[in-house]
Amino acid sequence: MSALADKLRGLRRQAGVQPPAPAPVPPRARPELPDNIRQLLGIRQRAKSSPPRKVAGEPTAVPGETIAPGLQLCEARTAWPPMPPAFHAAFARIDAVIDPARLVLFDTETTGLAGGTGTRAFMIGVGDWHEGAFRERQLLITTLAGEAAMLDHFASWLRPDAVLVSYNGKSYDAPLLKTRFRLHQRACPLEGLMHIDLLHPVRRRWCGAWENCRLATAERQLLQVVREDDLPGAEAPAAWLGFLRGGSAGSLHRVARHNSQDLRSLGGILHRFAADDDASACV
Amino acid sequence: MNALPNPLAQRAVRGDGALAAPASGGDQLARRLAKRYGDRITGSFVLPGREGQFAALPGDMPSALAQALRSRGIGQLYAHQAQAWNATAAGEHVVIATPTASGKSLCYTLPVISAAIRQRAKALFLFPTKALAQDQVAELLELNQAGDLGVKAFTFDGDTPGDARQAIRLHGDIVVSNPDMLHQAILPHHTKWAQFFENLRYVVIDEVHTYRGVFGSHVANVLRRLQRVCAFYGVSPQFILCSATIGNPAEHASALIEQPVTAITESGAPVGEKHVLLWNPPVVNPDLGLRASARSQSNRIARTAIRAGLKTLVFAQSRLMVEVLTKYLKDVFDNDPRKPPRIRAYRGGYLPTERRAAEREMRAGQVDGIVSTSALELGVDIGALDVVVLNGYPGSVAATWQRFGRAGRRQQASLGVLVASSDPLDQYLVRHPEFFQGAPPEHARIAADQPLILLDHIRCAAFELPFKDGELFGPQDATPWLQVLAEEGVLHQEGERFEWIADSYPANAVSLRSVADGNFVVVDRTDGRQTIVAEVDFSAASLTLYEGAIHMIQSVPYQVERLDWNGRKAFVTRTNVDYYTDAIDYTKLKVLEAFDGSPAGAGSAHHGEVHVARRVAGYKKIRYYTHENIGYGPVNLPDLELHTTAVWWQLPQRALEQAFDHRQEALDGFLAAAHALHIVATVAVMAEARDLQKAVGSGDGAWFATPDANGRAQLRSAFGEEGAPMLGPFIPTLYLYDAFPGGVGLSAPLFERREDLVRLARELVQRCDCRAGCPACVGPVLAVDEQNERSLKSLATRVLDLIVAL
Repeated sequence: MSALADKLRGLRRQAGVQPPAPAPVPPRARPELPDNIRQLLGIRQRAKSSPPRKVAGEPTAVPGETIAPGLQLCEARTAWPPMPPAFHAAFARIDAVIDPARLVLFDTETTGLAGGTGTRAFMIGVGDWHEGAFRERQLLITTLAGEAAMLDHFASWLRPDAVLVSYNGKSYDAPLLKTRFRLHQRACPLEGLMHIDLLHPVRRRWCGAWENCRLATAERQLLQVVREDDLPGAEAPAAWLGFLRGGSAGSLHRVARHNSQDLRSLGGILHRFAADDDASACV
Repeated sequence: MNALPNPLAQRAVRGDGALAAPASGGDQLARRLAKRYGDRITGSFVLPGREGQFAALPGDMPSALAQALRSRGIGQLYAHQAQAWNATAAGEHVVIATPTASGKSLCYTLPVISAAIRQRAKALFLFPTKALAQDQVAELLELNQAGDLGVKAFTFDGDTPGDARQAIRLHGDIVVSNPDMLHQAILPHHTKWAQFFENLRYVVIDEVHTYRGVFGSHVANVLRRLQRVCAFYGVSPQFILCSATIGNPAEHASALIEQPVTAITESGAPVGEKHVLLWNPPVVNPDLGLRASARSQSNRIARTAIRAGLKTLVFAQSRLMVEVLTKYLKDVFDNDPRKPPRIRAYRGGYLPTERRAAEREMRAGQVDGIVSTSALELGVDIGALDVVVLNGYPGSVAATWQRFGRAGRRQQASLGVLVASSDPLDQYLVRHPEFFQGAPPEHARIAADQPLILLDHIRCAAFELPFKDGELFGPQDATPWLQVLAEEGVLHQEGERFEWIADSYPANAVSLRSVADGNFVVVDRTDGRQTIVAEVDFSAASLTLYEGAIHMIQSVPYQVERLDWNGRKAFVTRTNVDYYTDAIDYTKLKVLEAFDGSPAGAGSAHHGEVHVARRVAGYKKIRYYTHENIGYGPVNLPDLELHTTAVWWQLPQRALEQAFDHRQEALDGFLAAAHALHIVATVAVMAEARDLQKAVGSGDGAWFATPDANGRAQLRSAFGEEGAPMLGPFIPTLYLYDAFPGGVGLSAPLFERREDLVRLARELVQRCDCRAGCPACVGPVLAVDEQNERSLKSLATRVLDLIVAL
């Protein structure tokens, strides 16, 4: 085996291919917020010198419980965000009154942004309002072979009248999942479902008013959410890959928390739109 | 397609006849030129005209399609089109290799449209250029409209807007694209094309003779990936390929798709008589062997033809030359601004609308003279012409015929003239009319299992669909390659599967036109531009992109100002110098393993693996035409090494001692013979001259020989050291080797044809008009030896005589 590897290495060097880039580049520091904004937002100045905070007793086990080979499920219920009233989805350019029981909020964590058939979701987070609480269910694969079971579980949670809610999911998460269902030769359960992609109404309403319309901005502006020890989305692929290659499961917990916050913010933003609609409908 | 009774073309012919009946046909012009310029014509022959062979429209064709054809004036098929119909109906993969303008496109449109009408079956068309793809779609749409067939055809290329792509994926019955798009956009997103693939019935690949060498080896691997994706969707489409006339259409087509292919090579299309002249510009300076420029001759021939009322097309090798020749002809024919122009230029770089307008005018017969680059070589429909003039040899005999094929009417003789430039290859070919007669000598070759190309495509294939342990890719077990990719971290092995895991899009990093990804880009900085004008393979960079080098791009000279070796960039500016540069490279080869060998005359010939070490020590400035050496420059670049395949010839010491007085003479002869063999070998395998390299040295790598300023051999034992101890056995070796790491399959066919090559090289040297040697035979001779006994020419002949088959 190594004979071929050596030979190929030699030939590639002769062909002028530079050796593959070494270890992944360290994450870029996010720009600090200007002082005035930080004050406005009530964010405390953090000591600049403090090293990244290690959560004491970061668990080493994989998050959630194993429900199929290579597939974990994390489930949680929270009181926030509250269930929105029934609303007319005109803000999302959908002419229908939506019963909140039909809503399925979803957000994926993926192995990258390259697109095409080589990118996969390793975590699918789903939120809905169930028995009076906000329910989060996160599917996480710990082996590549677990993907089929993850897709099947996810599909089983979607009723034919489900209304999807996402942030940029129409152009990112949904096509990506569609590709994965295709590759596993399964029908795509997202096909034909109503889909409220909150990115677009947010853009329509606040484009130009905010520095951008990313979920992190929207949740801060609309919900005053402040994330704690958040794993930047861009680092999620490395966290999962590290685990897959035999590394620690520690950072998977941070990925799960990040995804969970995304889901709750999604619920909060939706509530905000739905409540606005409700208020205007009452006038 | 223009040989078909296409209503437009017919109108053009009629309009023509009505306007002004040509004073003479191509035959009369050929006779006039031969009479007046007999000493410039090195070859002249006539291909007789042929009656058409026809067949009825197949009865099993959908009636709507038959109606559409009839309404376009097509009431019957040519024999080869009917043959293609029957072969595809029998489920065979087919390659159609008939001359230009024999109506090849109907061979594939008929089965494809029939299947689309009957089963809503889909087809993928691959063309090498966007212009051809657009033409094809226009033609399909016309046919579709004529019969109201309801078949939807779209181009899908880099210019297709994003919002149209979704519709094309879902609704296109026929998607017309190119290999690069298939490689970079379609296959890596195949799930979006799921419906298309599930119904894919035909894959049509036109102009397959252009898919040879490195490009062809890549395309063969893209087709492996296509077939792998098709298998995933449960289909195995039928392939219909088209080729210009080459020596091995069936073999080449079958190498590309790795399945048996039925070849259809007899055209049933009627053709008029065709005259061909090979034209060498006259010698204007006998001392220096300097000839008049090809441009002046092409201009003269075109002028004569247009004056005689013949529709004339001139092919030039570069865009610049197109503009120059157009200007010369316009100065003569378009000096009255009130009249519509009679002369048009046609080349890449014009806007599509401008090109379409030019094509329309040509079809309608409003233009008398067209000057074009290779853009018109492939099947763009421009109607019938009388005369084709090639300003320089287009690089292969197949391309020469394809260009000549542009001229031809049924009732009237046509003429093709090849005007040789001063390039050694041109000079060689123009003196060998036999290359243009009889069977096409050239074989298209690919090496689909070239290790680096294979690695690139297994990488791309793994991105598209996971691999299973032991899965084949082409005939190869992919496992070892997968393990290499897993070590690199782009694949993850889990159980029996290798799955893509990296956050990258590998197809973007794989160019179908180079081996591996170390290419240099050439950046033009002229007048504040900062644009990429060319890409150069890593292995050629040190030979052509050193600082000070004159780098020719489409015959336009640029000077390299700065070379950023690590950044893989060369910065150049336009220049007008009267010299070119030639790298002084020291190349040392060592035989690693002989795969095969045989006696060759008094010596032996072998084929095998070699190690090449090369240093570019400096460069020479050589004045055009006179080949005077007018200066030197230093080069300081890293040494290159490469493992590749080669063919080599050796002579035993005894034979050498009998034939030569000194070792110096023997070495001179070897270097000169290498020059001649390199020329004929380049022609034989349809290679680019730089993809195949030559060298002379010892078989064990102990020393090597390079020509000095006088064309005489200098012996070196190591880089930079002159002279070598002449102890031990003296076994000079002449190598021709693939210039790519791992080789690209050029040397095996050279070994097969080794006896031909030596014979041809000997003829080349003996028949050359020069006295003591010149770049067209044994290489530049700067201080000419007056003693013929010791001239490079006679020494080369002696070496070739010793290795020629007895």
